[in-house]
Amino acid sequence: MLTACDGCASSLAAWYSNVVRLVGVFLLLLPGITWPDYVIFGSFRSNDNANNWAKRLSQLFGEEITSITVQGDDGVWYRVQSGHVDEARVRLLVRKSDASGIKYWRPQSNQGSSGPGMVTPRLVAPPGLIRPDVQAEESKELASTVSAPAREGKSNDVARVKPIAVSGHRARRQWDVDVGLQSRLFAKQGIAGQGKSESSLSLEPSYYRTWQQDRQSLTFTPFIRIDSRDSDRSHFDVRELFWTRIGEDWDLHVGARRVFWGVTEFHHLIDVINQTDLVENIDGEDKLGQPMVQVSFVRDWGIVDVYALPGFRKRSFPGEQGRLRTPLVVEDRAIFESGAEDLRTDFAVRWSSQLGPFEVGLHHFSGTSRDPMFLPSMIHGTVVGLQAYYPVIDQSGIDALAISGDLTVKFEGMSRGGYGERYHAFNAGIEKTLVGVLGTPIDLGVVIEYMHDERGDDAINTLFEHDVAFGGRFTFNDFADTRALVGVVADTQNSDLIYSIEASRQLSPTWSVSLEGRVFQGGRSLPSGLYFAQMFAPEYKSAWLQQDDYFQIEFKKFF
Amino acid sequence: MLALTLLVPGTTPANITQRLSDTPLPADKGRLLFVEADRRNSGYRDMQVSLQMVLVSPRGGRTERSLRIQQLETDDDGDKVLVVFDLPASIRGTALLSYAHLQAVDDQWLFLPALKRIKKIASRNKTGSFVGSEFAFEDLSPQEVEKYDYEYVGEGEANGEATYIVDRMPRDPFSGYNRQRVWLDQIHLRVLRIDYFDRFDNNSKQLSFDGYKLYADVFWKPSFMKMINLRTQKSTELYWQDYMFQTGLSEDRDFSVNSLRRVR
Repeated sequence: MLTACDGCASSLAAWYSNVVRLVGVFLLLLPGITWPDYVIFGSFRSNDNANNWAKRLSQLFGEEITSITVQGDDGVWYRVQSGHVDEARVRLLVRKSDASGIKYWRPQSNQGSSGPGMVTPRLVAPPGLIRPDVQAEESKELASTVSAPAREGKSNDVARVKPIAVSGHRARRQWDVDVGLQSRLFAKQGIAGQGKSESSLSLEPSYYRTWQQDRQSLTFTPFIRIDSRDSDRSHFDVRELFWTRIGEDWDLHVGARRVFWGVTEFHHLIDVINQTDLVENIDGEDKLGQPMVQVSFVRDWGIVDVYALPGFRKRSFPGEQGRLRTPLVVEDRAIFESGAEDLRTDFAVRWSSQLGPFEVGLHHFSGTSRDPMFLPSMIHGTVVGLQAYYPVIDQSGIDALAISGDLTVKFEGMSRGGYGERYHAFNAGIEKTLVGVLGTPIDLGVVIEYMHDERGDDAINTLFEHDVAFGGRFTFNDFADTRALVGVVADTQNSDLIYSIEASRQLSPTWSVSLEGRVFQGGRSLPSGLYFAQMFAPEYKSAWLQQDDYFQIEFKKFF
Repeated sequence: MLALTLLVPGTTPANITQRLSDTPLPADKGRLLFVEADRRNSGYRDMQVSLQMVLVSPRGGRTERSLRIQQLETDDDGDKVLVVFDLPASIRGTALLSYAHLQAVDDQWLFLPALKRIKKIASRNKTGSFVGSEFAFEDLSPQEVEKYDYEYVGEGEANGEATYIVDRMPRDPFSGYNRQRVWLDQIHLRVLRIDYFDRFDNNSKQLSFDGYKLYADVFWKPSFMKMINLRTQKSTELYWQDYMFQTGLSEDRDFSVNSLRRVR
């Protein structure tokens, strides 16, 4: 059986720059071989194999192909090559080889010209007969540029080439900067008479650099917002400042970063690693950077993430002049169940995998809850404000998602201990994707979700205890990349309703505009002459939002 | 891939023209050409390339999309592809990871950088527009040989080169096409032109390829592609740059769902 030399061409190409120099030197040492007008079809250890191959090629090409003996530095080789022919005949041979899928290569030729469709005058091998190459020592590969080692016996048909590019991983270093100009208009005055408008400016630069073939990287993303109305909404945060080390099947991240858990759209029940940056948005999707050491392992049976979370971030709350706030302002100082206060190190672990049609995740979190309860802050027997109280909790949960055709089914569930009695809660929903609605290019995703908390109305730290959400995500597929998300959340046991719309589009390659509006309906307003007890009575849970219907427009510039 | 296992170890594939004339049935002829073309485009193991996508309105207005692509061949299934967006800037860092499967429905995950969220998405969205372009998702996904039936049409010409013309019919019932007519040049079996016929067999789109260059001494890749929507007269131009092959990307490290979380 013929076995043409494996990887000769590929190793040549891989060491292209060296080859140019070394082949020349090597050829000078070999008497009887001149530069360069011939085509090589392989080198063999066996003279018979070389002769057979030469004979077959001679018949196929109608051109004399011969086997010659070459003394390489690793022994004798029999090389199959054409005679020294003129450029036109070399081209013809190359063309015929291409058409037949026959592997060949040519020595570097400086005066080689190449017409259109013609192979470059480099060492050339068409795919097909190139076989997986065993990692040989580099010196061997260089030697094979003249006398390529034949590999006997094992031949595999999957074509393989040696690395050609110098490296696909070039160290990167980049700065991105997002600047936002935001304006909010409220329908009514605030609960404490705050004004109806607020404007703010935000800046989010991001620095990213990699080294060691992208195996290590540093990410730094500070964030700042300056608000015209609320000094507590003017704030600074280090969203990300972390170092990453990537192994073959593991990642290590050290520093402040953001981690998301969950599958549902309206309410992120199990997303517990980062603290909510509430002054940014009440939807709970803006988060503060959490210091952590995170290790991820990629295994056949799934991905395991282990988190050590040193240090706790308190939730951000609006100040006296801020909107979308509780009637009593939440004070800066907080109370912790843990004796270590905000220096406690929390732990979490999550396993996720693909089980048949399901994408499943299981997690456990043990540490200070990101979700506070509130205690009255008293002066001389009068309640003057609220204090956040952060208990220590343990939370175990599951998330699962399955896709069938254009239908996605989602579930998040958790059991949490630490707020008095242990309780359970879940979100479940479906999403259906409709492509090209009514013959337009618009894609529509329809989402229906149910949110349940077994504590019912007594679940004072959430508005979503027995609620149904219905939403539509529109992707317009236009030049301006227009998107819109409309939704409504309805409480199944009282008349609470929240309407929401978010939309965005590009104004230019580096400018975008986004709109956001929310309307709160059906909730009871607080009676005048406020009592702390009433404020947290279940029937007044959504009262603090009732005069805060708003519309927001934001322009963003990306540098 | 099946295309590769058709080769018997140690034998030399005969001249393609010879084999074409030896093959009597048009379906076999068409398939033979694509098996051979696929063989010639396989074996890079992994690939990286940047893509500039220009959306052109009928009046000539131009909007740019910019993205980076990493692709990995697998031994016994479809390719794995990771796409990262750089433009428009508002979706900078958004990434799409796809596992093409020869038999089953493809898997797709989307990474949303604002939330750091990985979202598995329904990939039956084949006919939908890819980021507002005239390319549907199915036009840009890996064109595995097994996903079509073939019919050899004859010889012809495209871009001034002698070509073979083959019709291919998608096997996926959810494809937006009844058939695609493909022009392959006779020397390298490079695709030079594709006419897309919708479910009613109307020629709805036309794709042309140009600026083929030889990379890694082995792979012919186009530098320029243009898709014209014949109904709306909108078009999309693709400019491919910085092709790199066998860059040492790893399945676990660079194409796991985990790797989506650290895409930049």
